[in-house]
Amino acid sequence: MDLQRLKPHFPWITLLVLVAFVGINDPNFLKPVNLLSLAGDIVPLFIMALGLTFAIYIGGIDLSAQSMANMITVVASVYLASLGLWAAALCVVLGFALGLVSGFITTRLFVPSFISTLAVGGVCFSVAQWLSGNRALNMDANQRDALFGWMIGRTGIIPNELFIAATLLAICLFIERRTTLGRALKAVGAGELAAAASGLNVTRYKMLAFAISGTLAAIAGLLFSVKLSGGAPTIANGFLLPAIVAVLVGGTPLTGGVGGVLNTAIGTMIVAVIRASMLYFGVQATQQQMVFGLVLIVAIALTIDRSKLRTVK
Amino acid sequence: MATPFLPLIQGGAPLREDRVRQLMTRENAIRWAPLLVLIGLIILFTAINPAFLSQRNFARIAIAASPALMVAIGVTFIIVMGSIDLSMEGTVGLTAVLFCFVFLATGGTLAAGAWVAIPVILLVGALIGLVNGLVHVKLRIPSFMASLAIGFVGTGAAVLITGGDIVKIDDDTFRALLTWRIAGFPLMVYVVAAMTVLAWFIQSHTTLGRNFYAVGGGEELAHASGLNVRRVRIMGFVLAGVFYAVAGILQVAKLGQAESVSGANFMFISITSVVVGGVALWGGIGGIWNTVVGVLIVNVINNGMVVIGLPNYLQDGMLGLLVIVAVVLSTDRRSISFVK
Repeated sequence: MDLQRLKPHFPWITLLVLVAFVGINDPNFLKPVNLLSLAGDIVPLFIMALGLTFAIYIGGIDLSAQSMANMITVVASVYLASLGLWAAALCVVLGFALGLVSGFITTRLFVPSFISTLAVGGVCFSVAQWLSGNRALNMDANQRDALFGWMIGRTGIIPNELFIAATLLAICLFIERRTTLGRALKAVGAGELAAAASGLNVTRYKMLAFAISGTLAAIAGLLFSVKLSGGAPTIANGFLLPAIVAVLVGGTPLTGGVGGVLNTAIGTMIVAVIRASMLYFGVQATQQQMVFGLVLIVAIALTIDRSKLRTVK
Repeated sequence: MATPFLPLIQGGAPLREDRVRQLMTRENAIRWAPLLVLIGLIILFTAINPAFLSQRNFARIAIAASPALMVAIGVTFIIVMGSIDLSMEGTVGLTAVLFCFVFLATGGTLAAGAWVAIPVILLVGALIGLVNGLVHVKLRIPSFMASLAIGFVGTGAAVLITGGDIVKIDDDTFRALLTWRIAGFPLMVYVVAAMTVLAWFIQSHTTLGRNFYAVGGGEELAHASGLNVRRVRIMGFVLAGVFYAVAGILQVAKLGQAESVSGANFMFISITSVVVGGVALWGGIGGIWNTVVGVLIVNVINNGMVVIGLPNYLQDGMLGLLVIVAVVLSTDRRSISFVK
């Protein structure tokens, strides 16, 4: 049992250890109701991380996810009144289209993904400020409950968000494991030049990966705005760091090619438990960002595949 | 350079055409395009609203650009090496906050000994840069992610120290950086000019500066010719950290206060400026003067949009488009096969 063979099992072992650790210190933590509501709260973050997984899986990054979610909260709040349920469709289409734009800029124009997505994020921020007039917006509560109430209620003791999360996870898992797209993304992540040499249309698949990332960031924003019954241009700030952490501690390295959406599910749970444990141990919320920043460095250092990086720039 | 004499040797009629062709090379176009864009923008905004071309407005632009230029110069060293540094928001925020604390703890006025805060904070900036460089080089983590994480930690630390509050500094001597004007421009503009010359000196007249270009031009070649590439990289991040600390101090001088978000927006604006100025993301091309032009372009656009009455929320979108155009134009597309 050497370290390399153990490596894929690190994420869930970490999760179990963390849960046990917090559980021993505070048995209330392990109550199903508590665990379920904890899981319910983190669903928007999970959905965003799910999307990011695709961008990171091919060796890129999507830094626009947070701005995208911000913009979508505004779009959803503004258009709920006039479009009704179609507002949701608008959000998803917008996410897909802007993701595609990021992908196009990255693959066709040769702009590194962290710059192209940062730039698209800037565009999203401008649109959000313009649409909202730089104010916090509220949804009409009745209309929200009538159209999107099903997203945030409870069935028994299970928060409905968890069903949404499970459905999206299942779809993503299907894409990853059972479709040509999924295989192609793996090939691109494992070795882009080899994938291109074996006749794969790398450009198209990479663009699709960014489009999926954008779509899921948009869905995360939609769910978030329904939860808060409103939107604002900076309301989802603070999502990006934990979302990246979730993907990386889950075991999808920055270099791509291994890991996947199931890993991100575990990674998100790790993030949730770290957050909860900080609460139990009296670490203030203001320190979260520092803790996650450090966790991020450790996670990257442990997971990154250095054989793929000839020179580390 | 022998090329200027070439037309003379060939002589006769084609002289003029050759000249033109020589001037129109890709390298020349890239080198001078940013400056032409800057001049074009100034003419455009002046044509729409003559009030743009006034000394008062230029002073306003200079003040707005001062901290941004320090951040952008810091990151220029890194980009010239072919790496990237995304930690500036955290570093500027943390150094600004720490500066206020040290300043207040050591007397609260420059005259009473609070000047100590300045070297202390420059040292803190260097330390943050050192951590950045060590994490990037020793753990072999790509710089954009290492520095992004360090930036998050920096902002987190600033929140922790301030508890989310604003720290104010009310010292007339220190605020003279903003209030004392020479020829219409506040003192901080001259400080920034001096720092820019210093940066240019480091870039062009020191071994370290040449080494940045060696690493950026071809890391393996630099390594093969005996350069300690890892040390150069770490030194680059340390240097960048010092310039971020200067930006942090200037930000306090400008606003009279600091909080954890004092560094907000610097990441996007500084990287846009550097790239728009003509420093190639791939490393090895461009330098301090490109960055100066880039920062001026970005700030002229920001200021000009307000002067001609456009809403300022368009800025981030504009900058986003601008940076993409700049990277596309500066990329030699035949020489790369794919990007991540």
